[in-house]
Amino acid sequence: MSAIARLTAARRFAVAPLCLAVAVLLFSLTTPEFLTPSNGTNIGTQMWVLALLAIGQMFAIVTRGFDISVGALAALSSTISALAANAIGLPGAAVGVLVGLLSGTLTGFLIGRLGVQPIVATLGMLIGLRGLSLLITGDGQVVPLAESETASHLAFDPVLGMPPMTWLALFAAVVAAAILGRTALGRRLVMLGSNPEAAHLVGVDAVRAHIRAYQLCGGFAGLAGVLILMRAGTGLPTDGSGMELQSIAAAVIGGSALSGGVASVLPVVLGAAFIQVLLTGLNLQGVSPFLAQIVVGLVIIGSGLLGFITRRLQPSFQTGERT
Amino acid sequence: VMALVMPPAHGARRRGVPGAAVWVALGAFILFSLVVPRFFTSGNLANVLRLASILCVASCGQAIVLILGGIEFSFGSSVALASVVAVTSIATVGPVAAFLIAAGVVAAIGAINGGLIGRLDLPPFIVTLGMLMAVAGVAASLVGGQPIDAPPSDIFAWPASGRLAGVPVPVVAAAGCVVILHLLLSVTRIGREWYLAGANPAAARLAGISVGRAIFVGYVVAGLFCALAAVILTSRVGSGQPELAPNLPFETIAACAIGGIPLAGGQGRAYQVVCGVLVIAMMNNAVVLLNLPVAGQHLMIAAVIIGAVLLQKVDRPARRLLAALRGEGRR
Repeated sequence: MSAIARLTAARRFAVAPLCLAVAVLLFSLTTPEFLTPSNGTNIGTQMWVLALLAIGQMFAIVTRGFDISVGALAALSSTISALAANAIGLPGAAVGVLVGLLSGTLTGFLIGRLGVQPIVATLGMLIGLRGLSLLITGDGQVVPLAESETASHLAFDPVLGMPPMTWLALFAAVVAAAILGRTALGRRLVMLGSNPEAAHLVGVDAVRAHIRAYQLCGGFAGLAGVLILMRAGTGLPTDGSGMELQSIAAAVIGGSALSGGVASVLPVVLGAAFIQVLLTGLNLQGVSPFLAQIVVGLVIIGSGLLGFITRRLQPSFQTGERT
Repeated sequence: VMALVMPPAHGARRRGVPGAAVWVALGAFILFSLVVPRFFTSGNLANVLRLASILCVASCGQAIVLILGGIEFSFGSSVALASVVAVTSIATVGPVAAFLIAAGVVAAIGAINGGLIGRLDLPPFIVTLGMLMAVAGVAASLVGGQPIDAPPSDIFAWPASGRLAGVPVPVVAAAGCVVILHLLLSVTRIGREWYLAGANPAAARLAGISVGRAIFVGYVVAGLFCALAAVILTSRVGSGQPELAPNLPFETIAACAIGGIPLAGGQGRAYQVVCGVLVIAMMNNAVVLLNLPVAGQHLMIAAVIIGAVLLQKVDRPARRLLAALRGEGRR
């Protein structure tokens, strides 16, 4: 990586931490309830559903795709996990991750093998997964968890400083970072996204890599569904609409290039944290929660403007810039 | 120097040979007619056309953006903002002006998108996604997240339920949009510029085309199509709804994709939009006529969307086969 390319990459990854810092600072100054330990814990546990979805989304985005079915998938996962947990005990909830992997396999097959555009394939998956959720639950009935108290302990009561489910989510994020940055699979996904022809020439199996990317995306969405279940104590078959766009927003604010090939887990998590801080902070201020949507939208456009400014400042290094 | 009026950019070589989209739509029509009870009745087919019209108007706009190699997500919330603006302003300015203001808002959103994408060269995905969220927030803030009803008025109801020479206004509007889109794409200079800018912006620039301007105009025109769709939709629901049509961008993109318009840009014709929209409308109608449970409806719609797009891919091998049968060698 040239110095300029490194600088540009650093700049795109700086958006999320910067936004997060500004938001935290502003809310701390204006809202006394914001900077309290309980609120900090609240945001720190609440943000992980979005963070997990955004990490999954990042794996799709890094291959030049994206997945608008993640919200529906998380809802289906929470539902099936609830049914499984009620049937064989709470560990059965882990089935949700399997649901995500299966769905991701199908998505990856449609995109990688059959060549369907990601937006069409994942729109089809979105509608189909919603249908499955309704089918399983008899038109959208929620599935209460028998052991909802244990679930609530796992989701909210700190062990060694954090609730076990938050530890699990954090661990999953570390695994994601390791996969992206330290494994051959991660390399292949990045190569596929940055230059598909070159990736093909050096022997990357594009079909396989696509399937892996969407499996990762689905797996993380499935885990997010398990987290939703633990937090709510019920499987929510019709939940998660709007989550798909928020997760793409978090991934983009976290510096993932929609043109593929550039992504990093930590900024994506910070992007999710930023959106959560915004939602919670505005809520505490009693401001219309819809303002958060406006701010997130403007930040997304702003992150695009950053690329424009970079190009203006360094017109001769256009090739280093990615959208 | 380019002539003001030009022949179509694409399809000249295969003029007279309908694309796969036509076969997919025709196949779906025949299948539904045979399998679905009460589908092939004049009353129901008129119903399908009415269902299709709003999607068709908006999809005409989406098609232009896709030809430009872009994508337009903000349709989803700009129609919602339009409905909210129309209903809140109707008391003071009357229905006609309210609709004009609402349409102006949608067109302005298109212009902002076009400016950011065409002039500042920002990625369309990011701009329109950000705009989708921001505008949704604005629409919801204006009415506190709750839908508000429009005062009953004949003029307000006309765009959705009126008739022109016996034909429902939305169907007339959709047909008009398709004709306008066809003319824009096939005989105007800007249409030709959209194809070139979408197919290869660098080459288009070298050929002396102002790519930024072409993109800007494209998003504005797309916004105008969406504005018309917003007016008809607002009139139909008779209220200002902050979550009016969240899936509109995805449905319009799916319609174009089913019609065989590649999302990569540079290609696409008006008839393809019609075919894609009809497939979606026929399917939405069929799942209701079949009295499927909601879950079954969802699963069938998903299967048809993906299946119809996959059928497009059979296009090229089938063409090659036809050519071989006619004795034309492979070039």
